[in-house]
Amino acid sequence: MTELQEARDVRTEGLTVATRHPVPKGEPILELRALQKKYGAVEALKPASLTFLSGEIHAIVGENGAGKSTLIKLLTGVIRRTSGEIFWCGKPVQLGTPHEAIERGINAVHQEVVLCAHLSVAANMFLGDEINRNGLMRKRAMTDAAQRVLDDLGFNLPAGAVLGSLTIGQQQLVATARAAMRGTQFLIFDEPTAYLTRQESAQLFRLIRRLQAEGVTIVYISHRMEEVFELADRVSVLRDGTHVGTRKIGETNEAELIALMINRTIEQIYHKEHFPAGDIIVETRNLSGPGFQDVSLTVRAGEIVGLYGLIGAGRSEFALGLYGRHRPSAGEVYWQGRKVDIASERMAMDLGIALAPESRRDQGLCLNLPIGLNINLPVFNRLTRGLTINGQQERENADRQIRDLKIKTPSRRVLVSAMSGGNQQKIVIGKWLSHGAKLFIFDEPTVGVDVGTKAEIYRLFARLLENGAGIILISSYLPEVYELADRLHVFRGGRLVASHDYRAASHEEVLTQAIGV
Amino acid sequence: MSVETVESGAGAAPRKGVSILFGLTLLGLLLFLWLLLGFATNSFWTPNNISNLLRQGAMTAILAVGQTFVIITAGIDLSVGAVVGFTSVIVAWLLAAGVPLWAAIILTLAFGVVIGAFHAFGIVRMGLPPFIITLATLTSLRGIGLLITNGSTISITDEAFTNFSRADFLGVPSLFWMVIVVAVPAYIFLHLSRFGRYLFAVGSNSEAARLSGVNVHRTIYLAYILSSTCAAFVGLLLASRIGIGNATQAEGWELQAIASSVIGGTSLFGAVGSVHGPLLGAFILATINNGANLLNVNSFWQRIITGALIIVIVYFDQLRRRSAR
Repeated sequence: MTELQEARDVRTEGLTVATRHPVPKGEPILELRALQKKYGAVEALKPASLTFLSGEIHAIVGENGAGKSTLIKLLTGVIRRTSGEIFWCGKPVQLGTPHEAIERGINAVHQEVVLCAHLSVAANMFLGDEINRNGLMRKRAMTDAAQRVLDDLGFNLPAGAVLGSLTIGQQQLVATARAAMRGTQFLIFDEPTAYLTRQESAQLFRLIRRLQAEGVTIVYISHRMEEVFELADRVSVLRDGTHVGTRKIGETNEAELIALMINRTIEQIYHKEHFPAGDIIVETRNLSGPGFQDVSLTVRAGEIVGLYGLIGAGRSEFALGLYGRHRPSAGEVYWQGRKVDIASERMAMDLGIALAPESRRDQGLCLNLPIGLNINLPVFNRLTRGLTINGQQERENADRQIRDLKIKTPSRRVLVSAMSGGNQQKIVIGKWLSHGAKLFIFDEPTVGVDVGTKAEIYRLFARLLENGAGIILISSYLPEVYELADRLHVFRGGRLVASHDYRAASHEEVLTQAIGV
Repeated sequence: MSVETVESGAGAAPRKGVSILFGLTLLGLLLFLWLLLGFATNSFWTPNNISNLLRQGAMTAILAVGQTFVIITAGIDLSVGAVVGFTSVIVAWLLAAGVPLWAAIILTLAFGVVIGAFHAFGIVRMGLPPFIITLATLTSLRGIGLLITNGSTISITDEAFTNFSRADFLGVPSLFWMVIVVAVPAYIFLHLSRFGRYLFAVGSNSEAARLSGVNVHRTIYLAYILSSTCAAFVGLLLASRIGIGNATQAEGWELQAIASSVIGGTSLFGAVGSVHGPLLGAFILATINNGANLLNVNSFWQRIITGALIIVIVYFDQLRRRSAR
């Protein structure tokens, strides 16, 4: 019986596949010896030696560009190594193609779900590996088998549902179930929770622990320290393409890991300066719109107003509403004491509101256009003299933002898609700095951003406040709003349910209010 | 695969330099074809043939420039050929009804504006895909044109109008001058004005453009109105050249325009394109047709060669883009 047949047989039974290659728990299952990857002269991964033990959850942390993606690509056969050796279950292997990696039982679940949104959950789980009889697909059998796996995992999901109708979190679970079903022994998670709500993350963690209990080795890559400490047995740190150390989770702490990652202490990250609160910039009174009801809050010059809540709690909808996306269905907005009716994004901008939206990819940036064009997009009317754009001012404006924000690029002409997450976020911010505003709304400004860039962004907030601006900071990451906001509002189900002064409530209190138990 | 990001993008070549290089490659191809045909035939480099070539290419070139505006916004305008036929009928009809020439020209161009505005209305307000709304006008406009002419043609007796297309200025056909008349403002619009930047931004990510204060609806109106107005302008030129208004003229020109634009480096996914590219693309296509005629190549072969050329050029363009990443 070939391995594939075996996997196919057991796959319908559930998740007992990881026992196929009995590497005893705690013994090395995958060993990297002096693994190196060069792109031309650039060393993306300096010779790294790492050992993954069978059945462990091994976290990998590092800033963007530290070499994490390179490592995943090497392990999943997407790229070939320049030098070094890989041992799988004690035997040297090539891992030259994705096919070979999958055959050996190495799989990855990516941050963005890479499945077909228009097909059913079952069809996605069996994609490329459908159950056939005489060349015809057995749809019924696949749906039943998929349903059994989903039920077994405790997901409350119908296997017949169209994948695109599920939330991103649910899709992520489907992607994991799909990998688990295929006889995976070594599963890599690449920042899986970036777009998940708390409940969805919790469900994913349960699944990860379950897979571990069944003998699957897990590699977990994340920017979120609290997840690493919640899940992992061991953690490896990468910095600038170098493997700088591996620790047992019980023998390290967040401060040490961050110091390893960036050579900087944790106090230096959440950079908080207090400024005397100035005049009220904006006040909403019982504002309602699509996705939010009855929100009353004020933002003063020199203060950060934090909006915390789960994804879908109405924070981003409120921000878009304030930014003129839709006319409010009820309530009023007062801008510097004057009642205003913000009918379009342009009007909001002209008043002095800037919005750095939730999703860089979908809302924030024109990815296949140059950095310069993106930075200048809100200000082209200002750069125009007569019929044409003043080319010199256009170049200077873009270059100034690139320089001030330390965007790592050889030129303003490079396409945004070639930049890392942190640099992309800086471009979004640069757009609004070049436009200038009195009220800055930052919606999830640090998702998928490395620690070093985070610190830079927080320092930038202080600079904006110092110049008399006010900030609305929206985040699903509690420590961020907790440490930075002068006033913290909690959203749940489209309503503002609680408000706290700086550090006046405990983490638990805020969390409970956001979840609403 | 997920969207790949590489740190600092050290390998990405500056975009502008690449675009100029691509333009030079196309120009090189065009000159190479001209040299080749000069050696292969006796009649290619005759003033008569060159004038003819410039006239042939001119109309496709103008259509391709208009089409490019639309394609940059990640749309498509399938109706341009039909608009050419339709507006040739309109101008002939107006002239036959005794409308003065200047008024007939302005009214015909106004028809172009209205047709483009209708396309944008269908896309923006009715939520129809550009492919569908322009496909619908493609067939309807031909129908309306045929109704007006009752299936026949309207001859144009205005000599001043029909002589224009045969006239030369400084030894260059007036039709080719019209390309310059369109291309220079088009270049300023697309590459030097903010509206051009907005076309690219809308084609790349309309939501990001909207959140940056770009009036996305107005930008789409602008693109489709410009495309249809270019087509109406070509309708005038065609009516002048053949001396009749006929709704079935310019069959398939929309595909020629799209092909010219794509050969000129425009991406059908939007946000990539120029003015000089489609112009070169149009004259490359015209040269191939002209050369094939001179070499007595079966006209069926011309279609096959055009198709193969599209594949080859766009394939190399894709390779170039990928390696620039």
